[in-house]
Amino acid sequence: MGTTGNQSILIVDDEAIIRDFLSEVLEDYDVAVACDGDEAIAQLKERSFDLIITDLRMPKVPGQEVVKAARELRPNAKVVVISGYSSLHTVSQSVTHGACAFLSKPFSIKELMQTVTTALEGDGDNHG
Amino acid sequence: MIRRWLSERLNLRLRFVLPISAIVIACMTVVSGFLIKRQADGYRRELQTNGETIIKILAVNAESGVLFESPYELDALLGTLHRFASVDYCLIRNLDGQVISSLGQNRLTPDDLSPFRDSVYLSKTLVSRHFVDGQGHKVLIIMAPITTERKTVQRESLGLTAGLDPSLTASTVSESIGWIELGMSVSSVDEATKAATEAAILLAFVVLLVTILVVAIVVNAVVKPITSLARATDQISRGDFSTVVQISRGDEIGQLADVFNRMTRTLKHSREEIEQYNRTLEEKIIERTRQLDDAQAQLIQSEKMSAIGQLAAGVAHELNNPLGGILGYAQFTLEKLRKNAPDKTTSKEIDSYIRYVSDIELQARRCKTIVQNLLRFSRSSRTVEFNETDINQTLEQTLTFVEHQLRISQIELMVDLAPNLPRIQGNSGQLQQVLTNLIINAMHASAPGTTITVSTRYCPALGEFSGTVEVAIADHGHGIARENLTKIFEPFFTTKEVGKGTGLGLSVSYGIVKEHGGEIMVESEVGRGSTFTIIIPVQKQELSADKTNEAKSGQMA
Repeated sequence: MGTTGNQSILIVDDEAIIRDFLSEVLEDYDVAVACDGDEAIAQLKERSFDLIITDLRMPKVPGQEVVKAARELRPNAKVVVISGYSSLHTVSQSVTHGACAFLSKPFSIKELMQTVTTALEGDGDNHG
Repeated sequence: MIRRWLSERLNLRLRFVLPISAIVIACMTVVSGFLIKRQADGYRRELQTNGETIIKILAVNAESGVLFESPYELDALLGTLHRFASVDYCLIRNLDGQVISSLGQNRLTPDDLSPFRDSVYLSKTLVSRHFVDGQGHKVLIIMAPITTERKTVQRESLGLTAGLDPSLTASTVSESIGWIELGMSVSSVDEATKAATEAAILLAFVVLLVTILVVAIVVNAVVKPITSLARATDQISRGDFSTVVQISRGDEIGQLADVFNRMTRTLKHSREEIEQYNRTLEEKIIERTRQLDDAQAQLIQSEKMSAIGQLAAGVAHELNNPLGGILGYAQFTLEKLRKNAPDKTTSKEIDSYIRYVSDIELQARRCKTIVQNLLRFSRSSRTVEFNETDINQTLEQTLTFVEHQLRISQIELMVDLAPNLPRIQGNSGQLQQVLTNLIINAMHASAPGTTITVSTRYCPALGEFSGTVEVAIADHGHGIARENLTKIFEPFFTTKEVGKGTGLGLSVSYGIVKEHGGEIMVESEVGRGSTFTIIIPVQKQELSADKTNEAKSGQMA
């Protein structure tokens, strides 16, 4: 667990409960939160993250924009998309835009941890 | 005037009996009068003839009595007159006017008779005349001369012709020797006339009675069936077709009654048929109305379900967020509780558990509210009850399950509710359906990033117009083409792609608002957006039944 502290995660969701819960579960990581797309893009511009977990449907700037911005601003960052309303279209769209995984709400802690671990491990593999 | 009165008062019987009686009386009077007069004349003639015969016989037989001035012989002669009841008196006078013999009592005064007597003496023939005596008795007086024949023989031819031809030799001279005066009582004639008149009157009465009786019977035979026909007609005119005219006769009236009864039966039959048709028609109308009501309820319900379908993504998203929190926190809490032994649990950890479980509770409540709203909205209601409804509250409830959809469509919602809106008479569920439909339409028309404004306001009463509550839903979407503006409320009219609408939303909404006595107005400009405004009167009771029917038929069209 000790090593996880070095890895940083940006959580983007307009729902406070989801943000709180994710922060709680992923407390071993370096966690930052954003409650909408604008705020997430602003944070992405400021610093880099190993992993970005973002909701798709959000007011003003949707998750798709966050995914696009992450790919442009931080190409090394892994992106996991979470959504309460998933369709094949939304999943494929996310993947096209550069997401590496898709979680549909509600998800279990196990699913989340697996996805996060896989994504971050993949990241580790990429870098060497 | 009298004629009119008579024509109003007289029934058919009197109309026949009165004129016929009058005619009979007139005829009887004329005929009886004629007959009585004829008979009286006959009596008078007979009396005169009798008198003349008697007086002639007396004159012949009195010749010797007068010649010889023998009262005894004359009295005996007059005595024979006792047999004649009509002889009042009889006098025999000589040429000097002296009464030689008399019978009976002459009640006429000499003054009355002397001129007549004088004239008779001169005429020397039989004369008769009527007189009325002091007591009013009518008397026929006949006077006749008593004559004798004197033979004169001429002296010259006496010797030559004597014994050969007495007729040639002697000439006969008739000479008055006295007078007979015979008074015949006319009262017997009068009595006979009177008796005849009485008999005639009696006869007339009998004939009249018989006539009236016969006429009454005949008229009755005609009038009675007419009366019963009239009564039956009256009953039929009042709608009683069970009436049957009971006349069984072979004549024209019987035929009339038969035809009348046949007509009544036909009428009754027709009436029953019409009533049956009416009943069937009413039943059919009720049945069709019920079917239409069912169809309408079904239509409203299916349109509602369609709206829910279109809201499903938003609702699912909205449910999945709290569910994500619930599931996550529940697992998280469980995991921690399993890892940490109860005796080693710090108060900080207990605080965090409390926070997690509180979050779970909060989010579960959120889910409950969402599901409740959805259920309330989707509930099918066959009977639509109108209650005092707060439009703002209805709108807020609608927004709870529409706003998620708006959020995921990235459409901003601006809500501007007028405070203290008066309540309206309405059905909250139906109004919610209208609002949902209009907001979904606005959402479909809007591009992401645009705003939909929902506002309410109150327009106070003005003159004859009652106050209204208005809900406006304005979008900045693509707007509605001018040529489509008139069609949007038509059933099955849609410009949306397949699967995005039934084409019934606005038509159902229109029907619902009309049933609330209200209207839906639309303003739209292509490229700039549309504003739909629902206007509902504050006092629903002002809405007449006609208007409701119009709304219904409008909706069915």
